[in-house]
Amino acid sequence: MSYEPIHNKLAKGQTVLLDGAIGTEILRRDVTWADHQLKSRPDVVRGIHRDYIRAGAEVVSTNSFQLCRRAMNSHFRDEAHRKHIGPADFESRVPDLLAASVRLAVEARKEAAAPHAVAVAAAVTTLEWCFRPDLAPSEQQAEKEYEEIFGVMKDAGADLVLLETVNSIAEARAALGVTQRLGIPCWIAFVCDEQGVLFTGETMAQAAAALEPMGVTALLVNCAPPDDITAGIRALGKTSKVPLGGYAHIGRFDPPEWMFTTEYPPARYREVAGTWKQTGARILGGCCGTTPEHIAALQQLR
Amino acid sequence: MYTTIRTRMQNGGPILLDGPMGSELVRRGVRWRKHGLLTDTDKVAKLHGEYLAAGADVVRTNTFQLNPRVYLNVFRNRAHRAHIGAPGLEELTPKLLRTSVRLAREARAQAGADGRVAIAGVLSPLEHCYRPDLAPKPEAAQAEHAELARIFAEEKADFLLLESMNTIGEAKAALAAGRAAGLPVWVSFVLGPEGEVLSREPLHEAVAEMEKGGADAVLVNCAPPQDITRALARMKEFCKVPYGGFAHAGKFSPPSWKFEFHPQFVDSDAWPADRYRREAEQWRGAGARIVGACCGAGPQHTAALRTMLGATR
Repeated sequence: MSYEPIHNKLAKGQTVLLDGAIGTEILRRDVTWADHQLKSRPDVVRGIHRDYIRAGAEVVSTNSFQLCRRAMNSHFRDEAHRKHIGPADFESRVPDLLAASVRLAVEARKEAAAPHAVAVAAAVTTLEWCFRPDLAPSEQQAEKEYEEIFGVMKDAGADLVLLETVNSIAEARAALGVTQRLGIPCWIAFVCDEQGVLFTGETMAQAAAALEPMGVTALLVNCAPPDDITAGIRALGKTSKVPLGGYAHIGRFDPPEWMFTTEYPPARYREVAGTWKQTGARILGGCCGTTPEHIAALQQLR
Repeated sequence: MYTTIRTRMQNGGPILLDGPMGSELVRRGVRWRKHGLLTDTDKVAKLHGEYLAAGADVVRTNTFQLNPRVYLNVFRNRAHRAHIGAPGLEELTPKLLRTSVRLAREARAQAGADGRVAIAGVLSPLEHCYRPDLAPKPEAAQAEHAELARIFAEEKADFLLLESMNTIGEAKAALAAGRAAGLPVWVSFVLGPEGEVLSREPLHEAVAEMEKGGADAVLVNCAPPQDITRALARMKEFCKVPYGGFAHAGKFSPPSWKFEFHPQFVDSDAWPADRYRREAEQWRGAGARIVGACCGAGPQHTAALRTMLGATR
């Protein structure tokens, strides 16, 4: 597999379906998400990928949200402390899990044997907490950390990188520099507020102006309620030349888990996604709280 | 009930603390959300009961690393929490604290231990227990701990146990808050690999500050057993108030999903109850009047410690 069929569809202005949530879907299937379940319940993870492909997803994203060394290391004072009280296999854990996340998506693609082409996206978010731009590392430091993550995931068979829930242009730029060097397509999805503005206060126009000349493959907005996604896509649509997309969360963040609500059943989600398409979005999917039924409903928008 | 405990402690002890709640609940398959205080109250109560049956003199509330920051730090700000967060997150912590004391009290009553067991309301660093660099400034810390201490006082916890405190500054603030709420306070420090407070501040300074602030006891916890042994041998030299310790049994294995502190421990087999008890014998030898068990241990460790201490009640 490769990214080419997806590229060709987007080049022709056709719509591409992204998958829906994986973390919250694991919870909905009554399994904890504490360890991403990549090693303990690979069957559940693979099963969800498979269900999304069968629902029509053409891009499946790996179950690797916030899976990085920085997140794990931040549970300890420093390296000396980690070595003193942490588990012996700690050093190799993150690369092992990142590779496993790609492998499970690739296996699910094979099992699903869908009639349509499917690309595997290495789903990666900010190195610090996705909603906290104030915690972000320096651009240089971020670049160094993304290099390992994307390298491992590309080697494991990812067709593209989906950098999602990004909260600043600087971190997007750092990641995009790395994917360009690695020669892997990169979609960047920003989290935005009700006005379609980044959490740093930067605008979508500024983001597009910074990332399009660097060669970003597509720009999206995600991880906000549907109306906020509408605002984000509208803001992107004013200036962007690259393919656009969006995927909203439905329900409520109930840390550390998710609260499912009935506010956006599949038919209503399709309606709002239809307005994204009218605004110029060609990549449509679902974020936290969405299910394979939501993705299946989006098929009518193709 | 605290009077009995204090008198015994002042006469040389010993006092047996219970074992860990979080890591044992996680080991038992409880999904770590809201400390199990919304979804798994039966399992929380049952574990309290098991520690009591094993002979604990003190039941600690299941509130380690439970404070309002936990449910705010994962959002951009308060407005963002109101916009995308579940309803009620703002008032969640007080509600969970009240439940935790109720469960401890019910377990104590059910064990018929009302006359001899004290309930410790557990406070801990407001930010991650292993990240002294994130500790809030003393004024903010004192105000936030005061709010938690007030709830424990209202719910009639017998005393407060500040656990895994990682800086002297926050420990002082929390101690003052607890005293202002009218409760006796014990303070326990998490040790770094160097054997001092995790912040690298000297343990003897930490102890002196707590004594000055009116702590009834000072402890060390949240480190491997041999580290606790070494620290207690030193505390013998400079502690004026009763002191003690409780150690990890195993390795901290945080989940790959980063939220807040998540009490997942592995490799606890390295510290079976017998071995743990032999190590704790040295703590008693160093003059510790309070012993117990921290993350990774279980009721069998509490039972082994009870055998070591004898049925002195």
